Amino acid sequence: MECEKVADEALQGDKLDVLYGEADSAACSRVGAHLEVCGACREELEALRGLRRHLGHWRLPLARPAFTPRGFVVPHWLAAAALVMLAMGATLGVSGYLSLRRALASQEARASLLEQEQRASLGVIQASLARAPVSATDAQALVARFEAGLDERLKLSEQQQAERLDRHFASWQERAEVRRRVDMAQVAASLSYLDGRHGEQLARTNELMGYVLQASQKR
Amino acid sequence: MLVGRWEDRIRGAAYRFLGSEDEARDVAQEAFLKAYRGLSGFKQEARFSSWLYQIATNLCRDRLRRRKTRPQVSLEALEETGPVIVEMRPGAHERLLERDLAAAVRRAIHALPEEQREVVILKEYQDLTFLEIAQTLDVPISTVKTRLYRGLVQLRLRLETEGVRGSAGVAVPAR
Repeated sequence: MECEKVADEALQGDKLDVLYGEADSAACSRVGAHLEVCGACREELEALRGLRRHLGHWRLPLARPAFTPRGFVVPHWLAAAALVMLAMGATLGVSGYLSLRRALASQEARASLLEQEQRASLGVIQASLARAPVSATDAQALVARFEAGLDERLKLSEQQQAERLDRHFASWQERAEVRRRVDMAQVAASLSYLDGRHGEQLARTNELMGYVLQASQKR
Repeated sequence: MLVGRWEDRIRGAAYRFLGSEDEARDVAQEAFLKAYRGLSGFKQEARFSSWLYQIATNLCRDRLRRRKTRPQVSLEALEETGPVIVEMRPGAHERLLERDLAAAVRRAIHALPEEQREVVILKEYQDLTFLEIAQTLDVPISTVKTRLYRGLVQLRLRLETEGVRGSAGVAVPAR
């Protein structure tokens, strides 16, 4: 059995619209009216509905991630720790930068204050110079006075150096004498310890210590 | 965000056109790259989805054309024809039947002429309207409907040849 309107493209289109739920009310009516009288089209439409159900069985495979992690996978806790460390580092960096900026700003302020002071004192000097210009004779007298003062200061400094040297030398001699006495006392103590020994060894030890004593006294 | 929204759909369409998951992913990426580069050429009167599908369809056509000169077998096709280890758990038989039916549908769709296959995939699996398919393929709506009708008739005949009959339940396809 075949439909009389098998070549009617409009009807075929309407049937597809009905099959896929895109038909408006007019198309629905047209198709409905035709299906009432055409068994072949009813059968075909039912078969196409069945076919669509079969087509639905071809499903997509489960999507694989585009970038599959291979090898070592960073655990969540490690990633979190790294993030915390990163945040702390960033905070430290920012605070360091801010404190550095503050320090630089205060230093700049100090430098600018100093510069202002120097400019002010230079201004004062220039003003005083403008008020009373220095003559050539005054300058010579000033230089002479400066040189005399310099000689005097040099002599005083040399004298102080000599006195300091003498004091150091005397102190050194005193310390050497004390050291010598301590050494002698130790030698005497050693001799008294060796005094308890006997025979030739004692004699030799005494002789030896005598040499030591002599050598020590020569110093 | 736009990529995330459309990637699955484009990849799905490409998978059904080409039958290879890896190639489908490549096509999806390539399509987005092309769309990004050609955004200035996008006509506002067309829907963005149609434009994107158009790019992806053209990429798939290129790949299919290249395949004709260098035939290749996808892993998915090999898996389907390979031996099946039947697990005798509850429902295993039904799953096996379903798997066979899916394979039969897949074979039938891939046996369609390219023009019909495109329309069937875009309509059945991408759920595009006739107007959107017409915009995507740059053909009149009547042409879309004609191709779809012919494609459905072909599919019905082919599935019946494979032993898939009627609309009730899951039929056992003959291999």
